[in-house]
Amino acid sequence: MIRVENVSKWYGSTLAVDSVSFQISKGEIVGFLGPNGAGKTTVLKMLSTWLAPGTGAIRMNGHDVQREPLAVRRTVGYLPEHNALYEIMRVEDFLRFVGRLRGIVHERLGDRLQWVVEECGLGEVVRKRIQECSKGNRQRVGLAAALIHDPPILLLDEPTHGLDPLQVSAFLDFLTGLRSGRAILFSSHILGELVAVSDRLLIMVRGKLLADVAVTELKDRAARDHKGLDELILETVREGER
Amino acid sequence: MSASNSMTAAEFGHGLRVITARELAAYFDSTIAYVYTIAFLLLSHSIFMNDFFLAGVVDMSGYFELLPLLLVFFVPAVTMRLWAEERKHRTAELLLTLPVTPIQAVLGKYLAALTLYGLFLAGSLPIVVMLLALGDPDLGLIFSGYLGLFLFGSLFLAFGEFFSSLTSEQIVAFVAATLLGCILLLTGNAGVVAVLDGLWPSFALGTLLYESVSVMPHYEAFVRGAVRLDSLAYFFGCSAVFLWMNAFVLERDRG
Repeated sequence: MIRVENVSKWYGSTLAVDSVSFQISKGEIVGFLGPNGAGKTTVLKMLSTWLAPGTGAIRMNGHDVQREPLAVRRTVGYLPEHNALYEIMRVEDFLRFVGRLRGIVHERLGDRLQWVVEECGLGEVVRKRIQECSKGNRQRVGLAAALIHDPPILLLDEPTHGLDPLQVSAFLDFLTGLRSGRAILFSSHILGELVAVSDRLLIMVRGKLLADVAVTELKDRAARDHKGLDELILETVREGER
Repeated sequence: MSASNSMTAAEFGHGLRVITARELAAYFDSTIAYVYTIAFLLLSHSIFMNDFFLAGVVDMSGYFELLPLLLVFFVPAVTMRLWAEERKHRTAELLLTLPVTPIQAVLGKYLAALTLYGLFLAGSLPIVVMLLALGDPDLGLIFSGYLGLFLFGSLFLAFGEFFSSLTSEQIVAFVAATLLGCILLLTGNAGVVAVLDGLWPSFALGTLLYESVSVMPHYEAFVRGAVRLDSLAYFFGCSAVFLWMNAFVLERDRG
């Protein structure tokens, strides 16, 4: 469902993403790991059509992000890194606004709204203005907006940022429940979160994709070498930085 | 909604309405609309009424001649937030990763601003009622004056929104749009034209700017009751160019 081929991206003279290639199939949850400035967010922005790839090709659900941006946007749910929302809107109005622009017909919008409000735990704040919501609830609003059209592809940039440990745990359970029929790519700095729900990990350092490894394989290697997962990942990152 | 890359006219119109409605709600939610409308009406009505009772003539030409001076400042105040705010709060990324085309987003915001501007103008209708009660004003002249005002505002809104798309600072957008508005206005002033012509007599810069750039000869034609094709083309053409450039800026930002 997500196919990235030799994609590079420059910001001026800085190479932010260097010949990155990977694929994600339906039913897979893939964790995107890397230090700050590794290029994860740039890749997610390109997948969402917010940024155009410098070189290479990206196909989302069979659609090219450059030639068919509208078709891509219709099949993708995207939670950006900063989760910027229209602060002055009420949560319900905001989700209706996103749903309408997503083309959800009036008769179905109520059901979809009810579903995301329940699943994202927004019942208590649905009538509040977004600016009155806590950071955790704002993150849920962003997630609800990404899910309202039931997208086959979900891109989440730091979705657990601002959530407390209990909320993170609930979110990871929720994410696991969304796996069926979807391709999910989510980035985080926290290895434990990614390992808990991901089938595979993509590890990026300095714009390069250093590893595309199954979590089970990573765990086996850690057990074989008598190392912790953290240690193994850090070794990979340091190797990449060298 | 289809999964293809195309967008039907109905889908385009639907998206346009949704964006326009949100923008309008944003104006009224933040009380901007109330403050601007009241300030505009108080200022324009009080200045006009003073002149009107001194002149004792039952027409609105004084109102139509006065308004451009106010609109140079009021219209940029309406448009300055349209994209600058989206940039500052990073909500443009949210909006433009939804199934929306840049021109759809630009037009949606433009229509919202145009509606608010329409409210400004509608607020002056009591003046028409008053003139009808006091005498027998030329309604054709009043109609063409309003048409001129509407087109004048449409152009100023278009470049105001364009400048807003270039920056994340609302004040920068305001100053840039006000500056261009002043240039378009002042190049239509006889004194300014004479001074510019005098600077370089063989080139006649003032006359050149008056005939090719200034908004005033076109606007004044409407105030005099002349609905000219070249003036319509000027307003529609210039507004369309700024709206297109606005969409181009959004597209270019994708890198």
